[in-house]
Amino acid sequence: MYLGKTIEELHELLVSKKVTPLELTKEAIEALKKDQTNALETLCEKEAIEFASSLIEPEVDNPFWGIPYACKDNFSTKGILTTASSNILKDYVPVFDATVVEKLKAAKAVLICKTTLDELAMGGTGTSGHKGITYNPYDPSKTYKIGGSSCGSASVCAQGIVPFSLGSDTGDSVRKPASYAGLVGVKPTWGRISRFGLFPFAPSLDHVGYFTRSVKDSALVLSLLAGEDLTHDATCSTKPVEDYYSLINGDIKGKKIAYIKEINEGIKDQCIKDKFNECIDILREKGAEVNEVSIDKKILSAIYPSYMVISCAEATSNNANLDGIKFGPRVGEVSTYQEVMINARTKGFGELIKRRFVIGSYSLLSANKEELFIKAQRIRHLIVDKVNEVLKNYDAILAPCSGKVKSPIVNNSDNIFSDIDVDSMIIENHLGIGNFAGLPSISIPVGIDQGMPFDFNLTCKAFDEVNMFNLAYSLEKELNLVNLSTVKKVNE
Amino acid sequence: MNFEAVIGIEIHVEMKTKSKMFSSSPVAFAKEANTLVSPLDIAFPGTMPIVNKQAVINAIRVSNALHMEIDNELHFDRKNYFYSDLPKGFQITQDQRPIGKNGYVDVKLSNGTVKRIEIERLHMEEDTCKQLHMADYTLLDYNRAGTPLIEIVSRPSIRSGEEAMKYVEAIKSIVVFTDVSDGKMEEGSLRCDVNVSIRPYGSDKFGTKVEVKNLNSTANVQRAIDFEVKRQTKLLLSGVKVEQETRRFDEMKRETVLMRKKTDAIDYKYFEEPNIVPIKLSDDFIQNAISTCPELASQKLERYIKVGLTEEEANQMLQNRLMASYFDECLKINPKRAKAYWNWLNGDILAYLNKNEIEITSLKVTPDNLDSLIDMIEKSTLSFNQARNVFEKMTIDNKSASLIADESGLKQNSNEDEIRKIVLQTIEEFPQSVVDYKAGKDRAVGFLVGQIMKKTKGKVNPQITSKLVVEILKTK
Repeated sequence: MYLGKTIEELHELLVSKKVTPLELTKEAIEALKKDQTNALETLCEKEAIEFASSLIEPEVDNPFWGIPYACKDNFSTKGILTTASSNILKDYVPVFDATVVEKLKAAKAVLICKTTLDELAMGGTGTSGHKGITYNPYDPSKTYKIGGSSCGSASVCAQGIVPFSLGSDTGDSVRKPASYAGLVGVKPTWGRISRFGLFPFAPSLDHVGYFTRSVKDSALVLSLLAGEDLTHDATCSTKPVEDYYSLINGDIKGKKIAYIKEINEGIKDQCIKDKFNECIDILREKGAEVNEVSIDKKILSAIYPSYMVISCAEATSNNANLDGIKFGPRVGEVSTYQEVMINARTKGFGELIKRRFVIGSYSLLSANKEELFIKAQRIRHLIVDKVNEVLKNYDAILAPCSGKVKSPIVNNSDNIFSDIDVDSMIIENHLGIGNFAGLPSISIPVGIDQGMPFDFNLTCKAFDEVNMFNLAYSLEKELNLVNLSTVKKVNE
Repeated sequence: MNFEAVIGIEIHVEMKTKSKMFSSSPVAFAKEANTLVSPLDIAFPGTMPIVNKQAVINAIRVSNALHMEIDNELHFDRKNYFYSDLPKGFQITQDQRPIGKNGYVDVKLSNGTVKRIEIERLHMEEDTCKQLHMADYTLLDYNRAGTPLIEIVSRPSIRSGEEAMKYVEAIKSIVVFTDVSDGKMEEGSLRCDVNVSIRPYGSDKFGTKVEVKNLNSTANVQRAIDFEVKRQTKLLLSGVKVEQETRRFDEMKRETVLMRKKTDAIDYKYFEEPNIVPIKLSDDFIQNAISTCPELASQKLERYIKVGLTEEEANQMLQNRLMASYFDECLKINPKRAKAYWNWLNGDILAYLNKNEIEITSLKVTPDNLDSLIDMIEKSTLSFNQARNVFEKMTIDNKSASLIADESGLKQNSNEDEIRKIVLQTIEEFPQSVVDYKAGKDRAVGFLVGQIMKKTKGKVNPQITSKLVVEILKTK
């Protein structure tokens, strides 16, 4: 009976002792056991109940005290199986906690479960994990995808089982599934949250991200997770962390918002078009200035190919440690170290991963490097320059997360070689801009069409999270779509 | 046809920093296997490198000693390849922007000429783990994984085995005296790979190069190169091509033997390490690293010659960094006694250390005490032989020289009044000596001094005694 509540609401209940952490934990665990979406890698039942039982006296000033949460299975959790949804790590139990997990533990949030992802966080469909497809809880017919790679964390949050869940975002792996699952999905500035303990996919693009069901909750989570990590992550910023929650005031008068003509040209569903216009009207009504700007389509259509080259190149290197010697299965009788490695990697990785490793490796070979890897880096800089140019004059860029509200699950999940039209390629991949430039970016629910929710995205200047939350909050308030979940949908 | 050798050398130096290049686990040698490891050293997913500041300071110091341009921004790259001793599947190194470039070192050859050897680059990187190959399995020790390394790459401007040996000695001296490394080739804390090719004199083309590994002493560097030059010359003279290959030096046979033919070079797929953002090195930081750098051997040499050592003596002192720093402590007390210190250090002290197989850091005699001992000799409070006895006791007790001399009654009596009494008494005992002396037999003086020494067990100052004997005999 406490499912589908926000962090703020649960905190109230906990502080007034209407419910205990143990009761919340037990309820969440029971709900997870009935999960129909295949969102679960590991249920941390014993650990969670033990920890929740130890939480007796509520901490009034600590909004995370006793709050259950879920964690994508590519965050290192001490003593708890962490597979990254890959067979090569199917027995891996880390010896240390990721910094974010440690911070949540210190804040006495209760880790309930580890959730599924696209294998090693590569992929955007929620279909490539070693446990198979993770489904969208909004679609009992199991036809439409939840997206990925943070599919499991999106699902359990959308089902109202936990009020927030950790994800990671290298291309759009939090902000895109947030849209398919009707959640708030945040990826702050690169370096705002320590990545220590997050399994690397492509470090120059990787971000810790998370899902919540309200903008205010997402501000609370960032204040907890953000901050320097001098001894573990040299890329993590030492800028002071702000009290994002208290800084939300809903006043956006005089703020300038841009939307990009060429991105919106890829919108396929009329309801998205209509909702976009509605949002522009709302923002203007509240005193913001909204303008259309233009970026060369040639540049925008290069986001996806250059993202593939850069992310695959980094990925092939980052995952070279999974070689069957330290990690991964020792398969069959072998006599050389090469055989150990080849066997482990052949058996341990899925087809899509191998394909991406080949792409990454190929683009780094000295014969191809200039033409592929270096060129991709140049394109990345070009895109970053363009976007920062826009953000020089604007506080945020507003964009749809996808051209369509729902997208069917297809078996072959990597559409590298499929031919889609340029406009679709742009609108389905533009969120990668936030990763290329390391900009803070938030997806928030803006509409529901035939029972399926969808989000829009706001991307802001580096380290301007305060503005990002404030703009997102203003829209959320007017659209009246706070705290969507399948629980609520059923209740209504 | 006459050939000249073209030699380039890559030197890897293990730094003796407190912690590893990118992790906080300690650096130490000969510890139980796999006890000095952190998650990063075994490449646990999610671990990230943190650059070791002392390693950077060390690299700056060595770059400066090698007259290199020092980069004001730190960049690291990944060198990607699969090997069982490589935990991450890549090594973090500095490919594009080494911290030091375009330097040189001057070496003095045995014929007295000075040769300038050009150095292309110096960069930081991390060591791999250690493999122990057993009969049908291999053991991995991750203690070494991540140990900070400096790699120094010379230009192919070396022309002989001797030049190569002197070059390696010079590098070794620099890393040892800057306190960057133990620089022990025999233990692998300084490792060098040598590339040797030959070409006809006057040619500006390079011949096919052969890489020689497994060189565990500077003498072997010279031997291996000399052998290799002969081998290649013989091949070319008999019309056989030199093949590109890797050879190792066999110490017993004193020759190089084939390890493997060079197949296609590995493509290391370098790219910039994304987990280390470029680090700006301020001028202050660089200058501070340099100005606080321990003194180099070449600087000490100059200083030692100034205080009165010969070049040979000074060089001998610089064979051992610890010995030299003990000597420096002594010089701080009294630079005028340089020669005396040197004599003790290279005489009784060295003999003592060798006999007991210890380093000078374990010597109980402090520079202060050594100085007080020399002081007593100079003031004739102790004879040299007495001083040696006192020294022997000092090595056990760490007491001051005068205390030991007192305790063992070794102190020499230089009090003229007291000695005069003994002299008068002795002359009375031997009246014949007065007669002899008057008869012009100077032997009488020696006889009397000898008797006095016997009587006092050598505790009176012989010079004063002799002076007084003559003085008193004259009055008789």
